[in-house]
Amino acid sequence: MASVHIQNARKTFGDSTVLHDVSVDMDDGSFVVLVGPSGCGKSTLLRMIAGLETISGGDISIGGKSVNRLAPKDRDIAMVFQSYALYPQMTVAQNMGFSLELIGAKKPEIATKVEHAAKILGLEPLLSRYPRQLSGGQRQRVAMGRAIVRDPKVFLFDEPLSNLDAKLRVQMRAEIKALQKRLGTTTIYVTHDQIEAMTMADKIVVMRDGKVEQIGAPLDLYDRPANTFVASFIGSPSMNFIEGVVANDGKTFFAGAEKLGIPIPLCPAQAVGKAVLLGVRPEHIVIDREAGVPAEVWVVEPTGAETHLVVSLGGAQVTCVLKERISLQEGQTVPLAFDASLCHFFDPQTTLRLV
Amino acid sequence: MTTMFSTAFRPLGSDRIDPFLVVLWIALIAIALIWVAPIIFIVFTSLKTNADVMGTGAFTPPPELFTQNYPDAWQRGNFATRFANSVIITLVKVPVGLMLSAMAAYALARITLKGKKLLLLLVLFGTMIPFQVMLAPLFTLVNSMGLLNTRLGLFLPYIAFGVPYQVFVLHGFFKEVPHELSEAALMDGASHFTIFRRIFLPISLPILAALLILDFVSTWNEFAMALVLLLDSKMWTLPLSLMVFQGEFGSEYGPLNAAIVTTVLPAVIVYLIFQRYFVGGLTSGAVKG
Ligand SMILES: Nc1ncnc2c1ncn2[C@@H]1O[C@H](COP(=O)(O)OP(=O)(O)O)[C@@H](O)[C@H]1O
Ligand SMILES: [Mg+2]
Repeated sequence: MASVHIQNARKTFGDSTVLHDVSVDMDDGSFVVLVGPSGCGKSTLLRMIAGLETISGGDISIGGKSVNRLAPKDRDIAMVFQSYALYPQMTVAQNMGFSLELIGAKKPEIATKVEHAAKILGLEPLLSRYPRQLSGGQRQRVAMGRAIVRDPKVFLFDEPLSNLDAKLRVQMRAEIKALQKRLGTTTIYVTHDQIEAMTMADKIVVMRDGKVEQIGAPLDLYDRPANTFVASFIGSPSMNFIEGVVANDGKTFFAGAEKLGIPIPLCPAQAVGKAVLLGVRPEHIVIDREAGVPAEVWVVEPTGAETHLVVSLGGAQVTCVLKERISLQEGQTVPLAFDASLCHFFDPQTTLRLV
Repeated sequence: MTTMFSTAFRPLGSDRIDPFLVVLWIALIAIALIWVAPIIFIVFTSLKTNADVMGTGAFTPPPELFTQNYPDAWQRGNFATRFANSVIITLVKVPVGLMLSAMAAYALARITLKGKKLLLLLVLFGTMIPFQVMLAPLFTLVNSMGLLNTRLGLFLPYIAFGVPYQVFVLHGFFKEVPHELSEAALMDGASHFTIFRRIFLPISLPILAALLILDFVSTWNEFAMALVLLLDSKMWTLPLSLMVFQGEFGSEYGPLNAAIVTTVLPAVIVYLIFQRYFVGGLTSGAVKG
């Protein structure tokens, strides 16, 4: 087991820079998720940690030792690929034992370790099958087994669940997390799915266009997003952003072109009297028949557990997730209120959070 | 038979006869007949006495089996020596050539290398030159190396002319092997050689088998280069000995055709052994991850 430190890592392919000075510290035994939209450089960063891509600049160290000049096999890490990359002509047991065989382990030792890993993953009945005889979920497990057998310092996962159906994905998500807690091995996990990131991570690294946008625990990112990108990326449905101006008394927000006054008693000092972006999560909007401001209903989407509303608030489009079942028609108005302590303020120019 | 007809001419799941399928079958049978006719002629003739060859039709089965043509041909054609020559050349050249091709194809497909494209182009260029054009320069070259009438002198040009096509085919296949497969092996601690031997060779077995059959047959039957490079008849391979039959025993078709059957038989056996393997490999979905 080991901690992983990434210092100003850069990656260029020819003329294009894919990663710009990425720095992340990952504690020993932690579960770190790299998340971001497709093409932001998550896989590239993971592959640099693995040694499958060269490091154009900066430093990556594992267990306090720089690995910039180490071959993948000398880094003591194991990787699970998106396509699983199982060796097609080897059985499950051979797939799992391959790395041990290559370091010259004895047959009985390999068998013991493979069986142990198979037991953890429930693969015992499948050990003599070939990859083509397995379902997607089983292949996924074999790929994990191949990593576990080696007992490496670090596990790397690159979107391991994206080829599975939705139900299996939820199940494997929980299994991978439980397994990681049980083994205690430092894990770096790449996904574009913020739900996966939120549910699995000890620490999330949000990336965009080859830069780190924010690093933090899942709920920190949810509660205090550093900028509008993180704010809209984390959480589903996405956070609403309403353009407007904070009144000089710091207690009212005038929303949108219509300058609809919304009482928010706790506006931050930097925002007073300025044009800001008000961020409100859909689940933090409630119906308040006494103090609510009227909003025109555009769309009503009952999901069973919740009711999703799309409304116009002073001309701005706002999504709300209401816990209660309510019968509303398009075109009606509904009185909405925001909890002031759950509102976020962003600078419209820099998109940064105003504390 | 009825079940064969009930499915052969109809699209799957339909009970109407598709005329196109009927045409396909007729074409298939016609082509098969064209190919099989000379073989039947050769086998029948090899089992006839000289009188029967003259007295009966080409496609008439031998009135009585006359097997003496075979020992005759063996002796007169000096097959003991020439068979051995052919076996040695083929058994060394085919596996060595195929391994060289596979290694070159792997390097071109997987190892980062400056000027790789140019190298590949050079190899592909080799597939485009008809070897007949090269016969005269080849003779000069082999002669200047002092290798005329030697096995090595034939072996080297055989390798040179066999490798480009195999590299072309194998490179095309290796290139399509998912990169993640090599990378997984790399992470598991495999060297390039291990990846080549343990991952690439096993998953390309069907293609290797196909190339092996093709190369075996073309090496075993090769005539022109052997004729130019082997002047001493002691070093001759089997196809060259057939030439002699035609000169010496022009009217004796029995021994000639027995010699042809003897020459072709090993290639057929090799084909039968490996084609099973190659068809089996393709249908078992070995390449799918
Ligand atoms: N081998 C390569 N050569 C050139 N560009 C590459 C290469 N690999 C990745 N890229 C580029 O780097 C960027 C990040 O890719 P990647 O790390 O795969 O993104 P993702 O976050 O979706 O995993 C993309 O714009 C991609 O086009
Ligand atoms: Mg990716």
